[in-house]
Amino acid sequence: MIPLHTSIHRKMLVVVLLTAAFALALTGAAMLYYDLRSYRQASITELGAQAGIVGLAATPAIEFQDPGSAEGYLQSLRGQPRITAAAIFAANGSRFATYVAEGAGPVEFPRIPGNDGHSVQDGELELYRRIVSDREILGTVYILAKYDLVGRLWSYLGIVGASMVLSLLLAYLVSRRMQRSVTAPILEIARVARKVMDQRDFTSRALKSSNDEIGVLVDAFNGMLSEIDQVIRERGKAESALMESEARLLTLNAELEQRVAARTAQLESANKDLEGFSYSVSHDLRAPIRAVGGFAALLGEDHEAELSEEARRKVAIIRNEAARMGRLIDDLLAFSRLGRRALEPAELDMADMARNVYERLNHADSVRPVEFRLGSMPQARGDRSLFEQVWVNLLSNARKFSSKHDKPVIEVGGISAGEENVYFVRDNGAGFDPRYQAKLFGVFQRLHRDEDFPGTGVGLALVHRIVTRHGGRVWADGKPGQGATFHFSLPKEAPDGGI
Amino acid sequence: MEEFDQVEILLVEDNPLDAELTMRGLKNQKLANKITWVKDGEEALDYVFKRGTYADRTDPDPRLILLDLKMPRVGGIEVTRTLKNDERTRRIPIVIMTSSKEETDIVDSYNLGANSYIVKPLDFESLAEVARQAGFYWLAINRSAT
Repeated sequence: MIPLHTSIHRKMLVVVLLTAAFALALTGAAMLYYDLRSYRQASITELGAQAGIVGLAATPAIEFQDPGSAEGYLQSLRGQPRITAAAIFAANGSRFATYVAEGAGPVEFPRIPGNDGHSVQDGELELYRRIVSDREILGTVYILAKYDLVGRLWSYLGIVGASMVLSLLLAYLVSRRMQRSVTAPILEIARVARKVMDQRDFTSRALKSSNDEIGVLVDAFNGMLSEIDQVIRERGKAESALMESEARLLTLNAELEQRVAARTAQLESANKDLEGFSYSVSHDLRAPIRAVGGFAALLGEDHEAELSEEARRKVAIIRNEAARMGRLIDDLLAFSRLGRRALEPAELDMADMARNVYERLNHADSVRPVEFRLGSMPQARGDRSLFEQVWVNLLSNARKFSSKHDKPVIEVGGISAGEENVYFVRDNGAGFDPRYQAKLFGVFQRLHRDEDFPGTGVGLALVHRIVTRHGGRVWADGKPGQGATFHFSLPKEAPDGGI
Repeated sequence: MEEFDQVEILLVEDNPLDAELTMRGLKNQKLANKITWVKDGEEALDYVFKRGTYADRTDPDPRLILLDLKMPRVGGIEVTRTLKNDERTRRIPIVIMTSSKEETDIVDSYNLGANSYIVKPLDFESLAEVARQAGFYWLAINRSAT
């Protein structure tokens, strides 16, 4: 077989030469067969004719018993180099005359003549021919000739071989020339293909040199190249557009980061201002309030006898309001501190915390029996002291607002809901008007009069701030006189950096 | 109640109204037989160590110091540090008076050896309780010393 990596050029050449060689060999063999066959036929006919002539010429010599002239006739065979020996037998079978060609070795003549006919043996042809005159057999002519089939075969093969070599050479030359018109366009396609592959240059095109199937191939190839080229161009355009937008995005990001940094700096400085403000509130604002309350107390104590009932009432109001102002300032400070404090997250058993806080509140102020129902709650992750604050605020709120109910009930529980855990505190107390729901969690926002339920309005704002800082939400349901439910949720997976 | 009569109290307070209220509170608790009021930390140290204007002080040494934190010149923290690092004065109980419960200075003052703290406005009952403990503290010290 032809190796697979051989070029198409060589393959075609091999095919042409093999075809030519095969055709020549077949033709040569047929001709050889025909030639050998006709050679044998011709040899026999020719020798038979010679024998006939010799027999006819020698007839009188046989009739007159003159072997000398008979041999003379036999000598005429000398012109035939193929004939090595000949003899004439008399009618009685005795050898009448012989002939042996010059240069031939000793010849053994048959003792008695055979019948009319011939035989081929060991490269020699023996032929017998009866001499008949007036239907009387006078004798027999015997001829022995060289029958050189092998020599003839060799020379024949030589000729066939030489002509084969010549024809192959010719075929080679012709096919080379002819091939150029077939393989050149294919090689051109191959060259362009290789160039495209090596240089990734999709703009090159193969030259079309004919309108046959190869021309179609060249057109198809060029068409494919231009399509690929177009696709690549479009992709390049898309890529550069993408890179452009990426660069734009990076710039935007950088700008955004810069802006965030600037805002952060502003916020930090604002925070610092706020800290300073808180500090002065805690120290400087509280001092006068302290003095007002303290001296009002001294007035009441030291000058009790001099004061009328009405004056004493007014002094008491001053004391109470000073105390309330002090509480407001404390709560405000607690609220502002919350924003500055770093969170310390820990695993929290919420049910345990709620129970402990409730027991503590109950211990401090167990005015009336409350039914406390504690359900199961999912664990949470958060700052322990802050969530204690959440429970304190929610539970003391629930106690406060249900305190006027005949049978106060406080229910606490929690469920896992998708990505977050949701906790709730429910009471059957005073409830609230849902229209003012949005105000519930604002600082110093109150939905009840201080005479009904005392408070500063910071508790729920603190809850809101703590839960929000932990990535959760706070909301409430309620109706006036029908109790309220406060919910807060916490993400199961703490947001990065949020805690 | 006799032992309280012997408690010499040094009140360090820059706000005269706060000082008056404090002294009044101590008086209410019958703890005011000997209160000395100084107006800042520097004066307090001068008094304790008998320096400057108090070089010729003949009063007995204070057995309890009520100390405000935020004062001009030398603050309460500095006073605590100085007194608690001095062998002569480190046994004198110091009660810090702060404006707010959440004062981070409280941690510092405890670390420096302050014995107690009370929050303004002065809660007269807890003030008396602190003074009583200080008295017992001093009695115990005196007893073990003799």
